[in-house]
Amino acid sequence: MTGNGLLKKLLKTFLWLAIAILGAAALGKIALQRGETLNAIWFVIAAACCYLVAFRIYSAFIAARVLTLDDSRATPAERHDDGRDFVPTNKWVLFGHHFAAIAGPGPLVGPTLAAQFGYLPGTLWLIVGAVLCGCVQDFIILFASIRRDGKSLGEMAREEVGPRGGLIAQLAVLIIMVILLAVVALVVVNALSSSPWATFTLAMTIPIALLLGLYLRFLRPGRVLEASLIGVALVLFVVVAGQWVSDSPSWSHVFTLTGVALAFAIIIYGFAASALPVWLLLAPRDYLSAFIKAGAIFSLAAGILLVRPHVLMPPLTRFVDGNGPVFAGKIFPFCFITIACGAISGFHSLISSGTTPKMILRESHARYIGYGAMLLESFVGVMAMVAACAMPPGVYFAINSPAGIVGASPGEAAATISSWGYPLTAQTMTNLAHAVGEHTLLNRAGGAPSLAVGMAQIFSSTIGGDRLLSIWYHFAIMFEALFILTVLDAGTRVGRFMVQELGGRVWKPFGRTGWMPGILLSSAIIVGLWGYFLYQGVVDPLGGINSLWPLFGIANQLLAAVALVVATTVLLKMGRKRWIWVTLAPMAWIVTITMTASFQKIFDSNPRIGFLANANLLTAQIAAGKVPLAKLADTQRLIFNQKLDAAVTALLALMVIVLIVEAIVQWYSILSSLRDPVLHESPYVATQWPPDFSGVAHGDN
Amino acid sequence: MPRPVKLTLRAFHLFWRGMREWCGDAAYERYLHSSATRFGSHRVLTAKEFYVEQLNRRYSRPNRCC
Repeated sequence: MTGNGLLKKLLKTFLWLAIAILGAAALGKIALQRGETLNAIWFVIAAACCYLVAFRIYSAFIAARVLTLDDSRATPAERHDDGRDFVPTNKWVLFGHHFAAIAGPGPLVGPTLAAQFGYLPGTLWLIVGAVLCGCVQDFIILFASIRRDGKSLGEMAREEVGPRGGLIAQLAVLIIMVILLAVVALVVVNALSSSPWATFTLAMTIPIALLLGLYLRFLRPGRVLEASLIGVALVLFVVVAGQWVSDSPSWSHVFTLTGVALAFAIIIYGFAASALPVWLLLAPRDYLSAFIKAGAIFSLAAGILLVRPHVLMPPLTRFVDGNGPVFAGKIFPFCFITIACGAISGFHSLISSGTTPKMILRESHARYIGYGAMLLESFVGVMAMVAACAMPPGVYFAINSPAGIVGASPGEAAATISSWGYPLTAQTMTNLAHAVGEHTLLNRAGGAPSLAVGMAQIFSSTIGGDRLLSIWYHFAIMFEALFILTVLDAGTRVGRFMVQELGGRVWKPFGRTGWMPGILLSSAIIVGLWGYFLYQGVVDPLGGINSLWPLFGIANQLLAAVALVVATTVLLKMGRKRWIWVTLAPMAWIVTITMTASFQKIFDSNPRIGFLANANLLTAQIAAGKVPLAKLADTQRLIFNQKLDAAVTALLALMVIVLIVEAIVQWYSILSSLRDPVLHESPYVATQWPPDFSGVAHGDN
Repeated sequence: MPRPVKLTLRAFHLFWRGMREWCGDAAYERYLHSSATRFGSHRVLTAKEFYVEQLNRRYSRPNRCC
């Protein structure tokens, strides 16, 4: 090595050492700071340094040693290039695609809810969980799918683990979809409830999307960029116009809806989006959402860096004991279940085995896209945590706690929350609601309004001050609700296809995706399923989020366990026994937390945690005559819902146990050489592309 | 043209092209230049046909996460 080369290497080593030391110092500051408030910049430094080091060292290790990525091998995008599904795509463009697909409301809502434990547990899990679990899952599933011509997780589970594995993965996806859609819809309902400004703004995005749909279909086919710019301008206009509606007594009345009315409106919308042609409503809304999502996330990051707010939430709150008002349960396992997507999301494995592997140019790009995009999603989660923790804890608890726990009036809520040691006055909540243009901010469980308040405070500290606080708040609500509805309508449509596929096995015509009666019936089934859980959440006296978010977290993390089982089996079959801990350790951890959470959600004796204990308590109250006659039917329905939630949780856990047992049998036979492992990879084909080919379109690289 | 202006224009060009690729604006051009379209035996779709067909395929599988 020349002197120059040695110097470069030394400099690089020192640079990485400095980044590692800075990251460790920032993490130490976050973990050990007591008594004084902490500047949010420490969160950014800790996260950024940990991500950089993990990407530089751990992802490189996985790429080189565990997966031995091979750039001489033609990817599916090269071998099947059809300009439709299989499209060779530039690394950075595909990174953007993949990130836009995986980044949903989960990393925003989960950390906001988990802030009830304090900032420390959630922040640590967001960083550590992403680096060691979530990124690994996304990366390895993406790699496995690339080596199998872009096969889905279900197909890979069937081929590599066993026939039951495929069916379990398919059923798990359908159930998680139903729970997911219900819970995200509930977040929207809680954000819009009794808010004419927010409801008007979101309602107006529907005609705007229809307009864009017609524009893109008939006037300028496929000109997404110009249509989206028009759409974004219109959406920003309706955010401002919402204030005029809110100030007008007659219009304000029209757009002031109760939770139940909003739930039915969203159910009808979901049905329409699923049954209408995709170009008319669903796709243009998705374009709008993608642009606004990218803009809002970038602005939040810039805002945090510019404002550098102080984190007012303590590192640990008194609710580590499991009696939190937002949701009940101790840090282990509920912090992990609640954070979910920001650290590891089973749903990502569907994206990593869906569109992305068909567009990837070279195997080595899987490291940037699979591992790197998840790091960025985790960073979004850390920013959401900062935004939630930057407001006074009393305000945070007032917004996120249900009326059944803190009371429905500002006075009651302030007294209850102050008695917990988080000082709050009724006037503070009234003033804050007035400042953001709302009648009240109390009892808005779900995470979206508190995140919007946090974001609005950061944005208004950068631009506009208090004068623009209400505009920023409603911009943040619109941003959250818009892309939640995008998940809702896209998910409903995919769910409809799943229902049609399953139904088609019983009655063939039902499986035809273009047959109108089949479309209407399957749309009604999928909307009815998530609509039921949504309604149950809306009328739940404990706020719904208390039951539904943990159920969603469990479902999502169990799907991650399925993905990690598949990844472990693939590594074993590839002969990488030595490195099996890379997927086996996260799998064991995810299975442990999800099984513990499932067990507690079903059997815990605390009625706020255990579904069955709550059902028993309500039954006893009826038997003791403590339930008024007028509420008897509602209480009986609540009892049924609690039992249903317990059954769904048990079913999910059981399915994953069956899959794990099947996988263990398979692993045992491989490890004890009872059976030759059969790896279902596509055969090796050498790439024809030159080494510097970057996927730039039209041969102009 | 001065070098900084040239570099700025090139950066804008790259950004614009990246945006078009990212949001799907350039999807039809991609399709026209794909090997299957150039060398395949199938009829080449019009921009309108391609747009609708592409959306139907994209939204029939999970493409948005939680």
